[in-house]
Amino acid sequence: MEQSKPTLILEHVTKSFRDFTAVSDLSLQVRPGRVFGLIGPNGAGKTTTIRMIVNITVPDSGTIELLGQRMNTALQDRIGYLPEERGLYKKMKVGEQLRFFAELKDLRGAEASKRIDSWLAKLQLTAWKDKRAKELSKGMQQKVQFITAVIHDPDLVILDEPFSGLDPVNVDLMKQTILEQKAAGKTIILSTHQMEIAEKLCDDVCMINRAHKVLDGTLRDIKRSFSRNAVALQFEGGDGLLNDPALVANIRQNGEDTEVLLVPGASPQQLLKRLVDAGAAVSRFELVEPSLHDIFIEKVRETA
Amino acid sequence: MKKFFAVVKREYLQRVRTKFFVVATILGPVLMAGFTVVPALMFSIKAGGPTRLAIVDQTGKMYARVNRELMSGQTRRPDSSPEPQLGQGDRKEQISQAGKLIKRTFTVEEVSLGGRSLADVTKDLEGRVLNRELDGYIVLPPNLLTDGQPEFRTRNAADLFTKDALKDAISDAVRGQRLVDAGIDEKAVKKASEPVDLKTIEAGGKESKGEASFFLVFGMGLLIYMSVLLYGQFVLGAVIEEKETRIAEILFSSMRSFPLMIGKLVGVSLVALTQLGIWAAAFLAFSVWGVAWLAGRGFEIPFPHIRPILFLYLLIYFLMGYFIYATVYAVVGSMVTTTQEGGQVAMPIVLMLVAGFYLSFNIISNPSSPLAFWASMFPFFAPITMLVRIVTETPPLWQILLSLGIGIVTIVGLVWLAARIYRVGMLMTGKKASIPEVWRWVRQA
Repeated sequence: MEQSKPTLILEHVTKSFRDFTAVSDLSLQVRPGRVFGLIGPNGAGKTTTIRMIVNITVPDSGTIELLGQRMNTALQDRIGYLPEERGLYKKMKVGEQLRFFAELKDLRGAEASKRIDSWLAKLQLTAWKDKRAKELSKGMQQKVQFITAVIHDPDLVILDEPFSGLDPVNVDLMKQTILEQKAAGKTIILSTHQMEIAEKLCDDVCMINRAHKVLDGTLRDIKRSFSRNAVALQFEGGDGLLNDPALVANIRQNGEDTEVLLVPGASPQQLLKRLVDAGAAVSRFELVEPSLHDIFIEKVRETA
Repeated sequence: MKKFFAVVKREYLQRVRTKFFVVATILGPVLMAGFTVVPALMFSIKAGGPTRLAIVDQTGKMYARVNRELMSGQTRRPDSSPEPQLGQGDRKEQISQAGKLIKRTFTVEEVSLGGRSLADVTKDLEGRVLNRELDGYIVLPPNLLTDGQPEFRTRNAADLFTKDALKDAISDAVRGQRLVDAGIDEKAVKKASEPVDLKTIEAGGKESKGEASFFLVFGMGLLIYMSVLLYGQFVLGAVIEEKETRIAEILFSSMRSFPLMIGKLVGVSLVALTQLGIWAAAFLAFSVWGVAWLAGRGFEIPFPHIRPILFLYLLIYFLMGYFIYATVYAVVGSMVTTTQEGGQVAMPIVLMLVAGFYLSFNIISNPSSPLAFWASMFPFFAPITMLVRIVTETPPLWQILLSLGIGIVTIVGLVWLAARIYRVGMLMTGKKASIPEVWRWVRQA
């Protein structure tokens, strides 16, 4: 598969605040039309990285290149950014507010009005256009903030915790909207702590811990490299069968499911055979990939 | 640049469209008119009719004169010069000046002893005063024209204004009688004691109304001071707004902090200028019609004649003064997290404006001294001190331009500083800044 030119390239980017290094020698590439997950524990350096990408701060060393150009002020209009720290002008009407943010991204006039209306309709906010921001619920405010990040049709959309404060209905709406943006060819950087969502949306993942990159690649490759010979089981009978250190390394109970991590070298077939031989009624036997959640936790432990 | 205008537009429209702005704009001139017109009207209200007096004339010849003076006193205009006298005249003097504005009328009756003893008559009068048939009575002693002291008995001894009026009337009557007794023509004396009005002419210039211009400068200083206090809070609020609403990061991902800060300052300042402009227009309208109306009712409000160039200077230095102190609020706003906190931090700096006032007292008498020069170069004093110099003894043009240049550089520098502190402060979210920390931010950003 031919790889298109990356939308965003970071090379050996380092940023320190006095004696604290927030980001150290970070290199990464974000390819167009993909959702790029930027994950990591609190204080890992994600926000600092994003702020350098949107040109709020400048790296101490290293380069950032967007759409084939070194980062500059003009490029800011090509980026849509939904920061984690976000808000709205409380007394300003939703429509006016969006127009102001559009103007800050150099979008004005009739085109701006048209897009404001279509986005409000898309996110079911049309009725709130002339309401002041303070009259909106938190979820609605979140959606308005999301619109400010995409109103100017940017090439790169950076979303920092876009799902916080949303109810399940709106989480789905937001997910769908993000995928639509991706389908429209936008490059999306998604930073979140909600691993289940990241797992469903991201094509690529980069994990940062303590200022360093600890993981980088497509989600599929990462999962494959973490494949740990795990089996999800549902069975009855055969008590005590799994207590065999020669075969099973770890057992975890997830409700009905039992997740069994086999010792290296052991094959799932051995386990299945043993269960069948012991007369256990197996209703589920599935080879499972580790979840992003598990990978995350393991990586954090490993690099602590 | 377009983004800068977007910021200006937002700051301006968001404030001008509020009910608060509309109400304040309308109430401003109403209050202003209230403070000038209402006291004048109140003085003109005659409360409770004429003051009823009885005069016991023991000299036997003074009653007619005193009566005449009292009656003529009712229509006598306040004889002080209409222009306010700076720093002169104590409190008491001012009160009696104000008292002269009150219209008073008297009804006077003569009470002759008619063979009775003085004690008898006064006892009788005392009774009438207590019964409210009279408001008071005066006893003119027989030796009034030499060194006798007249007595005024009244229920309301605290009425200074009436007492002053009586004192003046009796004094005038006694003076007149003494002149007649000495065989001097009363009218000739009056004519001889007409006061002289000193006409001040600036060397090489036209007739000067220096005093009027001087008060204008003070008025301007006061206007700067009030505008700074009033709108400085707006600037503070505008700078803090994005911190409180957590919008700053979105803004910084779209534009640099310097145009953002200038945009905010200009937007809010346009609001201030809009309001002041409306008030100025209202004041002008008041000047044209209101003064004529008041003059028609017997109140003359003096209007100073000022060189037109001075208006230009007033405008320029007003803008400079306003912007210098407004940017101080912007710097403070970039450091603090709440408006209240900001107000406290900014106050000592704004008091420098007051220091400028005090310096100008010295500068009036020595407008070309080194102190005057340096005070008018220091940007925080210049809006007042340089104006004082321009009015008193206009300094060379290069000095005026230099002070303006310093002012502009100061304003730009302060905005730059505010923008820098603001941006770095945003990156260190939630932290309250100490001064050394702010200094570090300024250097590192």
